[in-house]
Amino acid sequence: MAENVVQLEDISRVYEMGEEPLYALKKLTLSIEDGDYVAIMGTSGSGKSTLMNLIGCLDRATEGRYLLNQKDVFDLTDDELAEIRNSTIGFVFQQFNLLSSMTAIENVMLPLVYAGVDKEQRTLRAQFVLQQVGLDQRIYHRPNQLSGGQQQRVSIARAIVNKPRILLADEPTGALDSHTATEILELFDDLVEQGITVILVTHDGEVANRASRIVRMRDGQITSDSRIRSKKNA
Amino acid sequence: MGFRALVVIAWQGILSNKLRSSLTVLGIVIGIASVITLMGIGEGAKKEAEKQVQSLGVNLIYVRPGAASNASISQGQGTAPTLTYEDAKAVKETCPSVDEVAAQYQSSYQVQHGEYNTSTTVLGTEPAYPEVRNFHPVNGRFFNADDMKDCARVCAIGDTVKEDLFPDESAVGKQILIRGELFDVIGVMEKKGANQMTDMDDQIFIPITTGYSTLFGLNTVTGQAVKMVLARAKDGQDLQAQFQITNLLRLRHGIKSPDQDDFQIRTQMDIMQTAQSITGVFSLLLGATAGISLLVGGIGIMNIMLVSVSERTREIGIRKAIGAKFKDILWQFVLEAIILSLTGGLLGIALGMLGSDWIGRFANWTCIVTPFSIFLAFAVSLAIGLFFGIYPARKAALLDPIVALRTE
Repeated sequence: MAENVVQLEDISRVYEMGEEPLYALKKLTLSIEDGDYVAIMGTSGSGKSTLMNLIGCLDRATEGRYLLNQKDVFDLTDDELAEIRNSTIGFVFQQFNLLSSMTAIENVMLPLVYAGVDKEQRTLRAQFVLQQVGLDQRIYHRPNQLSGGQQQRVSIARAIVNKPRILLADEPTGALDSHTATEILELFDDLVEQGITVILVTHDGEVANRASRIVRMRDGQITSDSRIRSKKNA
Repeated sequence: MGFRALVVIAWQGILSNKLRSSLTVLGIVIGIASVITLMGIGEGAKKEAEKQVQSLGVNLIYVRPGAASNASISQGQGTAPTLTYEDAKAVKETCPSVDEVAAQYQSSYQVQHGEYNTSTTVLGTEPAYPEVRNFHPVNGRFFNADDMKDCARVCAIGDTVKEDLFPDESAVGKQILIRGELFDVIGVMEKKGANQMTDMDDQIFIPITTGYSTLFGLNTVTGQAVKMVLARAKDGQDLQAQFQITNLLRLRHGIKSPDQDDFQIRTQMDIMQTAQSITGVFSLLLGATAGISLLVGGIGIMNIMLVSVSERTREIGIRKAIGAKFKDILWQFVLEAIILSLTGGLLGIALGMLGSDWIGRFANWTCIVTPFSIFLAFAVSLAIGLFFGIYPARKAALLDPIVALRTE
């Protein structure tokens, strides 16, 4: 059996707002196996985004234990978390979040810049992943000269350029038409086949149905957790 | 990550808003250019003052009657003149380090030639005067030792006096009336202009002996007073000469302690130092004025960087999400500020040098840009970028990535 790449134990995330503490996550426990394809579903305010941020090391839990790759990340400094985000995690956002002043390939190279990879290697690696996501033209165009689908491909390329173990996608098809959305989801299937753990946040049942496991959330807790098909590369 | 990659990132940030970056740079350009130019003007004033002092003659020592001002109570200035023509002669004869001496006594009189008349300073002096003052006749000659001995009624006139009395004709060989006494004009002096407080051109020079016997009306019993003794020291012997004159005069005047000195000695060096300290204050004031505009430019950078940080919050969030560390973001914005201010600094130096050149050419004012002021401008613009860039950069680097990503 594959080891857990993400292991959350009794995680709470509390916001102090006024007098009443607000629980975005309440004693949540969740394990995700290496190489799995998980969809996290829930209405807005269910805590799914907070969960994403925690898994992605963008945020810290108020209580509980988070083991990422068997390693406790609770006591890590901000810079150490930044390093983990750089090397272990890739983010794909609904709004693509590309830097508008840079070309597609420059955007893809950016994580490698922060990782300290030299320019030649950066270029080779960026060209490779851009090809992998099906964008071998227009790579010297800026984001505003690309279509939504192309922009999302660039952002996926950026997410995987530094060979992460986990890909976190927050409503990756939310801003795309259904045809383009399907193409993007097919890309995720490819990535899962390559062994990357993909965690997808969505409120779209159709999108979630492409995953192997669906976790449903409400009020900061998990309400159901079902495996709908066996892990693809189990 | 590498420094070069950081510079590239900072540069991209600057290019992403060209108009705003140029306006920010402009603030620094103006600040630095004014520092360079105003310091150049100050430096020019200093050089100009030195040149003027030099033009009074080199190695000069001025001896004036009167108590030294460093004693709180002025002493020894009675009715009797404290510095006499005899003193001047003694200085010339007995001080080995003194090369030439010219005593002088001057007073203002009405002078007249034909229908023209004017009021001017009549200066009685000795033949060494042109040499000592480095001030020579352009027409005719200055009076000589024979004129002195004969108490000849001859005079050399300054350029202004010549223009006043002889507007359309040459003056040499003509006669003028000084307080009703007839004098032959034997020379016209070169144009020298004003220095310190005297207009060198508005004077008439006569042998001091003639002055004593005709114009000045001094009592010969108390000695023939002089208002100043100009002594020229031999090259490199200024201090010795000063020392010899002081001792001689103390001996002649029976002075036992320095507070009782009834004369003052100043050297060209003293005057130069005074001039330098005045122009130094002048430079400082100009520099301070320019510094204020530079400060305003610096605050402009900080302002723009703060706007830039809040506008690019989302970008900062994205960068942090994909692995930028505190220092990466900090350096990105600090380098942006430094690049802006250094660009401004370099352009400002160029503009300042151009401006100084123009002022030199069109405003007829010596304006000297020294390597020091260029270095200073460069260092200051670097420091401004660093100083005014750090606060906004820190603000950016401390942003919470989640909050930053949520910002539209």
